[in-house]
Amino acid sequence: MNPLATEQRALLDALFIQTIGAKPGNATNNIAAQAYYTGARGLKAYKNNAFSLAGRTLQAAYPVMAQLLGDEAFALLARDFWHAHPPVRGDLAQWGAELGDWVQGHAQLAAESYLGDVARVEWALHQAASAADLATQPATFALLSTTEPDQLTLQLSSGTRVITSAYPVASIVTAHLHGNPTLEAVGARLRAGEGESAVVWRQGFKPQVASCSAAEAAFVLALQSGASLLSALEQVSDFDFNPWLSSAVQSGLVLGARPLGSPLSEPS
Amino acid sequence: MPVGIGWRHPHYGELLETRPAVGFLEVHSENFFAEGGAALEVLRQGRAHYPVSLHGVGLSLGSAAGLDEWHLDRLQRLVDHIEPVRVSDHACFARGTLGAAGGGQTVHASDLLPVSFSKPALDVMCANVQRVQDRLKRPISVENLSAYIVWNSSHMTEPEFLAALAQRTGCGLLVDVNNIYVNALNDRLAGVDGDPVQRCTDWLDALPSDAVTELHLAGHTDCGDIVIDDHGSRVSDPVWSVYRHALTRWGAVPTLIEWDTDVPALDVLLGEAAKATQVGELALAVAT
Repeated sequence: MNPLATEQRALLDALFIQTIGAKPGNATNNIAAQAYYTGARGLKAYKNNAFSLAGRTLQAAYPVMAQLLGDEAFALLARDFWHAHPPVRGDLAQWGAELGDWVQGHAQLAAESYLGDVARVEWALHQAASAADLATQPATFALLSTTEPDQLTLQLSSGTRVITSAYPVASIVTAHLHGNPTLEAVGARLRAGEGESAVVWRQGFKPQVASCSAAEAAFVLALQSGASLLSALEQVSDFDFNPWLSSAVQSGLVLGARPLGSPLSEPS
Repeated sequence: MPVGIGWRHPHYGELLETRPAVGFLEVHSENFFAEGGAALEVLRQGRAHYPVSLHGVGLSLGSAAGLDEWHLDRLQRLVDHIEPVRVSDHACFARGTLGAAGGGQTVHASDLLPVSFSKPALDVMCANVQRVQDRLKRPISVENLSAYIVWNSSHMTEPEFLAALAQRTGCGLLVDVNNIYVNALNDRLAGVDGDPVQRCTDWLDALPSDAVTELHLAGHTDCGDIVIDDHGSRVSDPVWSVYRHALTRWGAVPTLIEWDTDVPALDVLLGEAAKATQVGELALAVAT
């Protein structure tokens, strides 16, 4: 390795070394040997900036996790996560995808076993916010009456995701974001061991989350996998398609209908 | 002389509603890397009314590990989409590979880490800047840093390094006046002799006059044992003084008021921009 790369590695090691359990002092001494005057104080400034940035960035993507843990604990969690999963891109909006799995395996949070799924729902919301813009195309629904259901499918909203959980995960998120249901109600569901599937999508520019039935979750997942409308319907039972479609179009979850293998486009 | 403001989230709506007279809007490129969403739509609307300067914080132009193709792809898409008046980033590194204890993983520090002012670092930065310019098919501007550590391996001055970078790649130089002053204050804390303002004007005088494409002005915080370039307050009087010198030397260079932490009311930001215009007009009148 050339001296420049060695020098840059020394600084990165000094900033991230706690990630991997080596002695922090070694990396700090290494950088102090290669840099002068503000060495130790300068390194502290970079570390402080990183921890502050980690907290702000993670809180922006995970506002419910921040509420659940409280400001102080969340700031410490953000710092630990920064070390455990350092950013790999120059766009910090990409950082944080592993939080759900990481929290699930965190010994100190083992008693709060629902947190992993809460984080997964929040990451889906975070991703939906920046997904490609797709407009509703109402005229395409005419395909439903002119095309065989094995030859067409439904176009779901940008950023649609389904998360199935052993906890009332959609309710936990909406209770903290919108006050619905109440925290008391969602606490009772949590204690009763109720599970939920959460569907995440985008309505216009606004990310949305709602609880959904197991049948709806399976139907949406089938559509996402590229199934035709007929095939998706055949994969579910206890699913009343017509009222679901009406509601899904109204909420922006479904944007239109399209021939299998073709993009969504209004008929010319 | 165009004077712009850093357009940050708290002012997205108010600026679009009130459309104040500013020379250009500066945004951080990485905040608009998404494929879609509300932020990108806001930028489109801003672009419809103002020139936009795309200022990056994540290219890592000085990285010995090279540039991230993912980052370049998104920057190119944004540049094609927004057609900015200028594209810029910093003379720093952030991307690199951790040592064996870190599993050799490639990370991005999400900070503006200093490079040594050395021939090997210059070669790397020239290659990376050239690669960006080839991809974007336009010159970019490269900004000087506030640096909180200084490498022992440096064997040229910062202006010498930047001048050589501009000469070899044809890139522009974005001179952050506050950063020079912060470095001068930290030099003084470290025992370096000399008046900080004089050291700043000497720094400016060492740069070639035809390479400077934009000036940045911002506030800083004196923590006692270190001065931090936090972009969280008004431009200080000594920085205004150095700014006057820069304009006297380089003429009517587009100027940006940056304010990134504790972002104040839009009127405060516009007031700083108005002051930059006044200071600039006076400095240019005296110079002629």
